[in-house]
Amino acid sequence: MIISLKNFIPLPLYGHKGNSGIWESEEIIFESPRKYLLLASSGRGKTSVLSMIYGVRKDYRGSIDIDSCNSRNFSLKDWSELRKKRLAFVFQGLELFDELSAWDNIQLKNRILHYKSDQEITALAESLEMEGYLKQACGTLSFGQRQRIAIIRALCQPFEFFLGDEIFSHLDKKLEKQCLGIITEECRQNNAGLILTSLHKLEDYAFDTLLSL
Amino acid sequence: MLRKLLWQSYGKLQMAGATAGSLIGFVLLISISQFWFEMDHVLKTNEDLINPDFIVINKKVSILKTLDVGNTDFTEGEMENIRKQPFADQVAGFISNDFALSAYTESERFPDFYTDLFFEAVPDTFLDVKTADWKWEAGQSTIPIILPQDYLNLYNFGFAPSQGLPQISPSIIRHVNFKISITGKGKQTIFNGKIVGFSNRINSILVPYKFLNWANKEYGKSPEPKISRAVIVSKNPSNPEIAAFLNREGYESIKENLKSSRLNIILKFIISFLGGLGILIIGLALLVFILSFQLLISKSGDKIRKLSLLGYHYREISRPYIYLLSILISLITLLAGFSVLLLKRFFINFSGDWGLELTPGIHPLVAGGGIILLALIFVLNYLAISRQTRRFSESG
Repeated sequence: MIISLKNFIPLPLYGHKGNSGIWESEEIIFESPRKYLLLASSGRGKTSVLSMIYGVRKDYRGSIDIDSCNSRNFSLKDWSELRKKRLAFVFQGLELFDELSAWDNIQLKNRILHYKSDQEITALAESLEMEGYLKQACGTLSFGQRQRIAIIRALCQPFEFFLGDEIFSHLDKKLEKQCLGIITEECRQNNAGLILTSLHKLEDYAFDTLLSL
Repeated sequence: MLRKLLWQSYGKLQMAGATAGSLIGFVLLISISQFWFEMDHVLKTNEDLINPDFIVINKKVSILKTLDVGNTDFTEGEMENIRKQPFADQVAGFISNDFALSAYTESERFPDFYTDLFFEAVPDTFLDVKTADWKWEAGQSTIPIILPQDYLNLYNFGFAPSQGLPQISPSIIRHVNFKISITGKGKQTIFNGKIVGFSNRINSILVPYKFLNWANKEYGKSPEPKISRAVIVSKNPSNPEIAAFLNREGYESIKENLKSSRLNIILKFIISFLGGLGILIIGLALLVFILSFQLLISKSGDKIRKLSLLGYHYREISRPYIYLLSILISLITLLAGFSVLLLKRFFINFSGDWGLELTPGIHPLVAGGGIILLALIFVLNYLAISRQTRRFSESG
């Protein structure tokens, strides 16, 4: 999958002084299976870029082409297909259902394509030290625990790009490393690309490209 | 799992209310439509349902009578004979004026007009016009008059349009004042005339019985009041005995045909009104239905947005709502069908006691209409649900 941002700038950033030079480039290309890290301090447009690629927000100039198709023209059905089969996303706000158990939250995604077996999900939870919390309502979990549930949920589908918006913000170095390990492994299996945003460098892992906003 | 998630904000009371409302409206509407057909059937098979009937009879007019050889008045003996007939529950004679009578106007608002006239009278209990103005006491100068409805109709729909004259409503006619001149036994008296009503039952110019009795004594030529026509009240006017009797005695009658059809119209009007009410209730219930679903969906707006982020299409998201809708509509269909059949059974038992025959089962038009209506409610709700889930999906 090739995601190409042409003459792209999120409208909230348009006309601001001190923007990153990246918004002046004619084209920014994300190509799977390469791995990208968007690095910036708060308010520089990290979340905007990801939600615009994922079709949640449309307030940008220029165009976002996914495999040479302008995503502005996508129908609800196109987006639905894209989100089911090609783009995995972990939101900064996680978007979990607090009233459902962690397990049900994961299954809500998994049941769409029955992508992973119960054993696989349990194994993932174990490797992220979440196996004891699966029956608990999400609302009662800590933010760090919920981040891990959201990551497991995002992995319960096939994807060509994995998008993650500050997904390790509440995890310690050790868990961050475990999570990143699992994500890159899944990316490798899917031959998928990776775009993560972060406030600071994720040092232990080599990304192919590092973009500073 | 989707169902579990989305039904969490489900207002049970609202849904129950909307369902009950629809059910009641629906049963009402179905029963009324069914009743409409029943009534049609019953009235067709029992024309004389609305008894007792009034039969006005008179003697046949022949050439001899025109030449004033015979006489069309009923004698006291003949009246007695009619009273003795088994079909005659009540009998009364018409009396008519036995003196010269004329009416004229003296009003600036109306063109001058003069006519010779006749009056007839029957006892008050035989009249179909009930008004407080219908009374006369000795010494009263105003005479209340009842005209046949047909006269007014003839004028309004026959004479007036053809002559380019304005049509007149009954209420205007009541305000027309005219004079009535009575001459007899060498005296003349002027009275005021006032039209107080229109009769469908008796085709004659009527004044109070008391007045005519008095006037005949005061101005009349013959000492005894003459009975020109007679009115018979019969509970069963279709009794063949009546026709046979009239034939035998050489009498004629004009049966009051209009009445049952008029009652029919009134009944149909009432039923239409109830039907309208049923439609109104269904309309309101439909509204509550749609609003309940909208509320339910609105409450789940954030969930729908999140589901859309996970890749759920809005059609998948609306499925649990459609499912709920289907359950409720099926419930209404079943319960309504059941209730209507139960009601019907109940009425069949009843009507048996009244000697009425009802058609068995539900009229196919009614059943078909009901199903179409339910389908319509389903489709409207379906569209509303789809539209709203789509709207929330687009926000995610």
